[in-house]
Amino acid sequence: MTAIPLAGAGKAVGDQAPAQGRIGVTPYIVILLQLGLLTVLLRQFQIESAAFLRLALLAFGGFAIHAVLPMRYRLPFFLALSLVGTVLVLDIANGLSIIGIGLVLIGICHLPLSFRLRGTLLVLVGALLATLRAKWLQAPVSDAIWPILGSMFMFRLIVYFYDLRHNTAPVSPVRTLAYFFMLPNACFPLFPVVDYKAFQRNYYDDDAYRTYQVGVDWMVRGVIHLLLYRFVYYQVTLAPSEVTGPAQLFQYLVANFALYLRVSGLFHLIVGMLYLFGFRLPETHNQYFLASSFTDFWRRINIYWKEFMLRIFYYPAVFKLRKWGTTKAMVLATLFVFLLTWFLHAYQWFWLRGTALLEGRDALFWVILGGLVVANALYEIRYGRNRSLGTSAKTWRSFALLTVKTFATFWIICVLWSFWTAESLSDWMSLWQALGGKYTVDVLVFPAIVLIVIVVGNLEHNPLRNRRASEVESSAWLRARMVTVASLIALVGVSIEAVHQHFGTELATTIHELRSGRLSRLDTAKLERGYYENLLSVDRFNSQLWEVYTKKPANWLDVQGAGLKRFTGGFAQTELIPSFVSRTPYGTISVNRWGMRDKDYERTPPANTYRIAMLGASSVMGWGVGDGETFEALLEDRLNRERRDASNASYEILNFGVPGYQPPQQLVALDNALSFAPNAVFYVATGQEISRAASYMVEVVQKRIEIPYQPLREIVKQAGLEPSMDNATALKRLDPFDGAILAWTYQHIADQVRSSGAVPVFIFLPQVREEIGQDETPAILRMADSAGFAVINLAGVFRGQDIDALRLAEWDQHPNQRGHQLIASRLYDELQKMQPNVLGARDRTPTN
Amino acid sequence: MTDDIKTVIKDVILKEFLPGEDPSELTDTTPLITGGILDSIATLKLVMFIEERYGISLQAHEVDAEHLDTISQIAQLIRSKKS
Repeated sequence: MTAIPLAGAGKAVGDQAPAQGRIGVTPYIVILLQLGLLTVLLRQFQIESAAFLRLALLAFGGFAIHAVLPMRYRLPFFLALSLVGTVLVLDIANGLSIIGIGLVLIGICHLPLSFRLRGTLLVLVGALLATLRAKWLQAPVSDAIWPILGSMFMFRLIVYFYDLRHNTAPVSPVRTLAYFFMLPNACFPLFPVVDYKAFQRNYYDDDAYRTYQVGVDWMVRGVIHLLLYRFVYYQVTLAPSEVTGPAQLFQYLVANFALYLRVSGLFHLIVGMLYLFGFRLPETHNQYFLASSFTDFWRRINIYWKEFMLRIFYYPAVFKLRKWGTTKAMVLATLFVFLLTWFLHAYQWFWLRGTALLEGRDALFWVILGGLVVANALYEIRYGRNRSLGTSAKTWRSFALLTVKTFATFWIICVLWSFWTAESLSDWMSLWQALGGKYTVDVLVFPAIVLIVIVVGNLEHNPLRNRRASEVESSAWLRARMVTVASLIALVGVSIEAVHQHFGTELATTIHELRSGRLSRLDTAKLERGYYENLLSVDRFNSQLWEVYTKKPANWLDVQGAGLKRFTGGFAQTELIPSFVSRTPYGTISVNRWGMRDKDYERTPPANTYRIAMLGASSVMGWGVGDGETFEALLEDRLNRERRDASNASYEILNFGVPGYQPPQQLVALDNALSFAPNAVFYVATGQEISRAASYMVEVVQKRIEIPYQPLREIVKQAGLEPSMDNATALKRLDPFDGAILAWTYQHIADQVRSSGAVPVFIFLPQVREEIGQDETPAILRMADSAGFAVINLAGVFRGQDIDALRLAEWDQHPNQRGHQLIASRLYDELQKMQPNVLGARDRTPTN
Repeated sequence: MTDDIKTVIKDVILKEFLPGEDPSELTDTTPLITGGILDSIATLKLVMFIEERYGISLQAHEVDAEHLDTISQIAQLIRSKKS
């Protein structure tokens, strides 16, 4: 095999052979081909963001050059690539800001002062940066830099300074800068805490080809984890209100824990990418679902975090406390580590999200887990634990015992995890009522899946971890490579539509869904709630929604914060403030004297005027566009331009849209609308109407608001709702009546409109991202039709368009100016096609 | 002397942490910490043994993979501490 010559490689240092870093031509091409396939895979499945794909292309292209450079140029080249990557992902200004601040922090570490003074200076500068992050002072930098700057320095600076203090690792400017700005970090706010000594010590300490190949393996593994995560995220996760029986409870517990696949997937991608540049770092996760005890779980999950805590906090604490006895020191140090993990979790979140979150439930979770680990550790101190070099055979008895222990540990961890991640304590408590539900054979499904995974996982011969790849025997090595290549080819193949179309509709749809990284139905509902509420739970975990929120600027104008509404009391609770004007980045929002976001109208329509009253929520009101740019205003203008004839003077569309209004609130809006004597009432629904109607009824009961509609009061009574009930329990009680609430609402609106002599028209307006939130649409359309509405379905109005060009932002899915134009145009066309033509009815003849 | 140290360390690791394992599988370069053989509890037990047996004191920052990952590294650390 011809090796690619390394110009100037010369003699190696110490006992490192001249072959260090060399790769043969064939293996080099093999790696490049695999990276090519991996690029296709990343693109086909839209893994992470477009920015990550750009970074991956930079990394893979950079690898092609890096691998053939002389050794002495590789680290500087990697550094250059990392700095370019930072600028590429974040733009020049933000990239340079991060690099500049980073250089200051690193510079402080090397000042010719005592370590105590340097440490003090670092703390002071850190405090200053924290005040900028918290927006107590105005920062001359963009908010976009903080998550990445934080992830680069918040922990690695501690490690670096610790090593500098103890003079435990050689330092060079290039290595130091490469450590902090390492290439994949520009894309990932959540990043493994890479140890500086390992970063330095493991650099090209093994055969280059095998190192690169492990990198490819891990990146493929990372993609598989992320795809599994997506499957769980889209298909398996449940809201607490959907947990009605023991089968759903087990599904909820497993799916909730399985969402951690996102973290392990990302970390595998990150560390795999670093392997391409010679950094043979430790494995990040070690089959954590196969943990057979709590100490085992702590050792397997997020190994980088565990090593960071061990080296920087645990061992120093044990050494300080061991005068009280080693066992006591170990116990206290373990509890200290878990308490510190809670605190550092909040510290991390501060840098990533800008808010400090010291929640009691977080602390309780870590204290409980810490207690379990301590109990386990004391047992192991006394009785030892099974260790193996991977050569001894397991007996059936030991295998069975291992399986039982793993199964038990798994479920306890799932329960703890659900406690930690629940939106509220009451939501978590409500989950357990499901144990009193119906026990069918479905109850066994998820426990059986877990058991099969555990049995298969434990059957696998467990080799020594983190062995040098060059020590792996050739046939085992080849087998593992074939698995990687086969996985790559299979995944790329399956991603092609022409291929997965042959798998049957259901499987093809599932694969198609896995090809996009969007929010799940549950997170989409949370995103929409987030327009009107402060969602604390989003801040606490690395959910996909949280990542969307990290991109949201702190000064983004939320619907909630816009100050457009006032509290009125009564069933609708709020209304737009009459005669209110707000200047937003998207234009002026003017509310007329009647409390409509619209131009002024007289209460009585002028003669020969066709008047339409439009009911809806924020999309109708026109959140995110200026006056006159809403689809309602555009439609009104077009009708007046193109449909005026001898028989009518003008068209008027009165915008009664109020942000956050749910279907039951439209009952109140209708009464107001009918007082303006419309010829037609357009009710605009945007999806999930059934769920929203139910949620609103729960809200009014919890707030003890009087319900002025007898049928709705009756439903609440039959469901047995109480004001003291938590959300999840109340929604479960209301579940059998969800459809009835909305059906009655629609019927009442249609009846009232007809009674006034007007025409009721139902308009279904899909989300900008049409494939989400549509599971209730068929039922909603049937209900509207049954109620006697003339139905207009605007499904497909955004199809074929670039979504980013139609919505305000990734964290705000309201249609923008272009989106409103599309809606207005399509609505105009649909109105023209309607038979009988709604716009043709001139006389308002009450039907009662 | 180094070989004596390695032999002693190997014996204690096999006896305390790998009973029943084939001694020939434990070499001077087997990764003990990074390989998952020695967790924090075992590492601290080993540290206590080393300090007592050789009359040396280890620092907290020396308890890591750089110094204690292989039998060779452990022997090297003990030698450097004794000299």
